[in-house]
Amino acid sequence: MPRLTFTSLDQTILNTLTPPKRYYWGIVFLLFLGVMLGASCWAYQIFTGIGVGGQNNPVAWGTYLINFVFWVGIAHSGTLISAILHLFRAGWRNPIARAAETMTVFAVCVAGLFPFIHLGRAWQVYYMLPLPNQRLLWPNFLSPLMFDVIAISTYLTVSSLFWYTGMLPDLAAVRDRSTGTRHKIFKYLSFGWTGAHEQWRHYTRGYLFFAALATPLVISVHSVVSWDFALGIVPGWHTTIFAPYFVAGAIHSGLAMVLTLMIPLRKLFKYEDIITIEVLQNVAKTIVLTGLIVGLAYGTEYFIAWYSHNSIEMEQFRWRALGDYRWGFFFMVLCNTLVPLLFLFRKVRTTIVSLFVISLIVNFGMWWERFVIIAGGVAHGFAPHAWGLYAPTMIEYGIMLGAFCLFFFLFVLFAKHLPSVSMTEMKETIAEGAGHAA
Amino acid sequence: MPPKRHIMGLFKSEDKVVAAINALKQSSYEFIRVNTPIPSHKIMDALKLKSSQVGWFTLCGGILGFIAGFALAIFTATRWNLIVSGKPIIAIIPFVVVGFEVTILGAVFGNVIGLLTQTRLPSFRWFKYYDARCSGEHFGVLAACEPMQEDGLKDFFQEQGAEVRIFETIKESPQL
Repeated sequence: MPRLTFTSLDQTILNTLTPPKRYYWGIVFLLFLGVMLGASCWAYQIFTGIGVGGQNNPVAWGTYLINFVFWVGIAHSGTLISAILHLFRAGWRNPIARAAETMTVFAVCVAGLFPFIHLGRAWQVYYMLPLPNQRLLWPNFLSPLMFDVIAISTYLTVSSLFWYTGMLPDLAAVRDRSTGTRHKIFKYLSFGWTGAHEQWRHYTRGYLFFAALATPLVISVHSVVSWDFALGIVPGWHTTIFAPYFVAGAIHSGLAMVLTLMIPLRKLFKYEDIITIEVLQNVAKTIVLTGLIVGLAYGTEYFIAWYSHNSIEMEQFRWRALGDYRWGFFFMVLCNTLVPLLFLFRKVRTTIVSLFVISLIVNFGMWWERFVIIAGGVAHGFAPHAWGLYAPTMIEYGIMLGAFCLFFFLFVLFAKHLPSVSMTEMKETIAEGAGHAA
Repeated sequence: MPPKRHIMGLFKSEDKVVAAINALKQSSYEFIRVNTPIPSHKIMDALKLKSSQVGWFTLCGGILGFIAGFALAIFTATRWNLIVSGKPIIAIIPFVVVGFEVTILGAVFGNVIGLLTQTRLPSFRWFKYYDARCSGEHFGVLAACEPMQEDGLKDFFQEQGAEVRIFETIKESPQL
């Protein structure tokens, strides 16, 4: 980054916080309409009953759970980039760490909505809180669903605190370069941070502990999500490979979403000198790695089914590739494992258009992977008379659209009101090529 | 006794800050603090700071979280002592999941409490003798001296290659 100085970096990032133009509010309004559409569909479901969704025997877990797993997966790469790559001292993560962390927080928020939606009677959510009910019964922590409540709420809390802590020095930088109401707001948001050596001494230590704690957490959270399935004796679900398989898939989809978000952000905010093509290229290389791990997991599932000689498992995996949802299986193998291999070609991973298109394809494929696993497992279980198919209804599509709009609505608001690139970590990169506390 | 004068030297290079700190230690001026836009190991080393105590808060939070996580799972399980499918009421393996998550949660809460208490945030007292350029491209070294030494300290910073800012004496610091 030879052209960047502390001053030019501050200027580039602070320029993104200038009052937005009319088209920005137009996009925000459109996304808000999408959110309202989703909320209306949910409200209709609450008043009419859960039957307005397509979930029914034998497929009781449909798009609500598919989207839950999809969004939790998206949330994972933020922590990978901000915590794991920080511990590995990978300096290239600095320009994208803030946006990825923000993506994590919003994706967990969106994911957290789906169990509420899936409940039907959303007001009975307190059954999942560690409180006694009317009959003085407590939640049972032997259930993987209760593991999930603890894991997801912990992940949301930790990733939000990690995100805000990392942003503290930047909030102070914005405070010091603003006037009027914005100055007052940022004065409170920055907690009085001044970058005094006594503050940095504790901050760098605390940030390192944050990263060290977030790393095992991120691995545990998607493992716990996978156990929602793996602990059920359903063919296609009941396998020990699920935890690493889900973690790799989560990072795979999350990295793709990082590219999906970073590429337009880079263009709109003129971040070309900050989010360089080398940074995007490194994300693409990591996607090749995670894609190969995911591909290995797909193959291993088939190997285990064959090696077990269990007729039920073998039939499940035969049907997965050749049955009614074969197109879903085709999408997941093609989009998640084969298409990312195009990033092996330097030309593909250094071209913005191909990076963006492949990131969308991977996101699409990862959604279908969750469909194939979740709906496919229960649709073709043990007893042939209980086999059945599932298709989402318009209400489910509306809620799904609302969820996507909510995520992008929050992200678009964030990008224009808070520093979308970590100024402090970028300055550290300029100074020494390292991150916080390196 | 007349109040001390506070002067900040604003540098653009970490190395010059380190040199200024070392020279300041040898002088009769009182070193107060350094404000920097980034954490700097060179500066930390020059100041010979003790290691932070935040880790103890994190550790205590983690231990409390570990106990709380297992206690929660065991307590709720024993509220309904009915053996199902021969599984034990207090099943350690599934409870490890709850224990682990709450351990991390407790450690992070401890870490945040440690950070806030050790850095003494939130507080506006840090704005006392602070220059806003220190969150941008400057490294500020704040020193104090007797009123009669003001010119000497100013010259000292200028010799070290700094821009100089002389603060008006503040009698009371604003509090949050």
